[in-house]
Amino acid sequence: DHLLKKATENEYNTSKGISFLELKYQLLLSYLMNLTYISLQKSQGSSIQDDPAIDRLIEIRTVLEKMRPIDKKLKYQVDKVVRTAASGGTDSSDPLRYRANPENLISKLDDESESESEGEEKKSKIYHPPKLTAMHYEGDETEMDKDQKVLERAKKRALSTSMLRELREEFSEGPTEIRETTSTQRSRAERKLRERTHYEEENFMRFSVSKKDKNEMKRVAGLSSLNNLTHFDDISALTEGRAPQAGGSSKKRKHGGKGKKGKKGFKKKRIH
Amino acid sequence: AATIRTRKFMTNRLLCRKQMIVDVLHPGKATIPKTEVREKLAKMYKTTPDVIFCFGFRTKFGGGKTSGFGLIYDSLDFAKKFEPKYRLQRHGLVEIKKTGRKQRKERKNRQKKVRGTKKAKVGAGKK
Repeated sequence: DHLLKKATENEYNTSKGISFLELKYQLLLSYLMNLTYISLQKSQGSSIQDDPAIDRLIEIRTVLEKMRPIDKKLKYQVDKVVRTAASGGTDSSDPLRYRANPENLISKLDDESESESEGEEKKSKIYHPPKLTAMHYEGDETEMDKDQKVLERAKKRALSTSMLRELREEFSEGPTEIRETTSTQRSRAERKLRERTHYEEENFMRFSVSKKDKNEMKRVAGLSSLNNLTHFDDISALTEGRAPQAGGSSKKRKHGGKGKKGKKGFKKKRIH
Repeated sequence: AATIRTRKFMTNRLLCRKQMIVDVLHPGKATIPKTEVREKLAKMYKTTPDVIFCFGFRTKFGGGKTSGFGLIYDSLDFAKKFEPKYRLQRHGLVEIKKTGRKQRKERKNRQKKVRGTKKAKVGAGKK
């Protein structure tokens, strides 16, 4: 009632405000008017089929929907303006001004470098590494905790070995899944080779294969894959309850075995 | 008995040439020399073999299939303009003079003993 009197007396002048909000007011108003007209029609009992008011409603609704993300983006500006209107004017040296001040940023950097150069001379000779990223803190971990963690990890790894997987399959009651075996080594090498050939064909050039890559290709394509048949994983974490020793031994054996076999093979050929 | 197939054919108007990947099938034989590949490509694309440049032939593991690259220029002038010198040398169109490696190194060592503009004189002198 009071509001109505004020509106009719033109106390709410929106001509100087943000035009986007002005548009929003007008749209909302017309939406309301159309809605009241429709509800009036319905309450009187007359049908609202093919009423032009409905088309108008739909149109205004879609425009309002499209305006919503813009509204969200303008939210910061609008809040600023409201705050200044409420507080009654801004200070030129207000830290929360509308725009970022790049000069402030530059001066900050200068200050930092200056203070650093001064501080170096003052500080002691102890080297403190620069704090770039957050590092894992393990100061409160005892020796026992560490051993326990290592053991847990070894147990988890042991659970996913091929031996235990086969055991599980034996005793499980679900249907067995027969899958094509894709050895990760080979698939990795294949993928790398495919990428390489693709690049070569696209760019009309040939790569020179480094010794490392040559040896890897020979290894993957050659007889060394037969050695992996008799190489079982270490599950001492589950059987004996202690973590396996440094895993370098298994890797060394692989290389040593392959070398020996190669040598023997060659020698055999020579003799025969 | 060698068969030649071309893949990824592209007409490169900027360099006035046609470029493609050449697949050579030669079961039971050694890799075909580049000159023969050029002849065959010339017959396929109805040009003279001297504007055809092929390179980068790699035989697949097990033999029988080789793939490489081939370029067919619109004219020999364009070829001389755009091809790198080493490939022109393979066709005998350009001669690259090569001072031996040992000669170059000895010249460098002689130059080390002298300072300034005398370095150039040392190289030419060749005591």
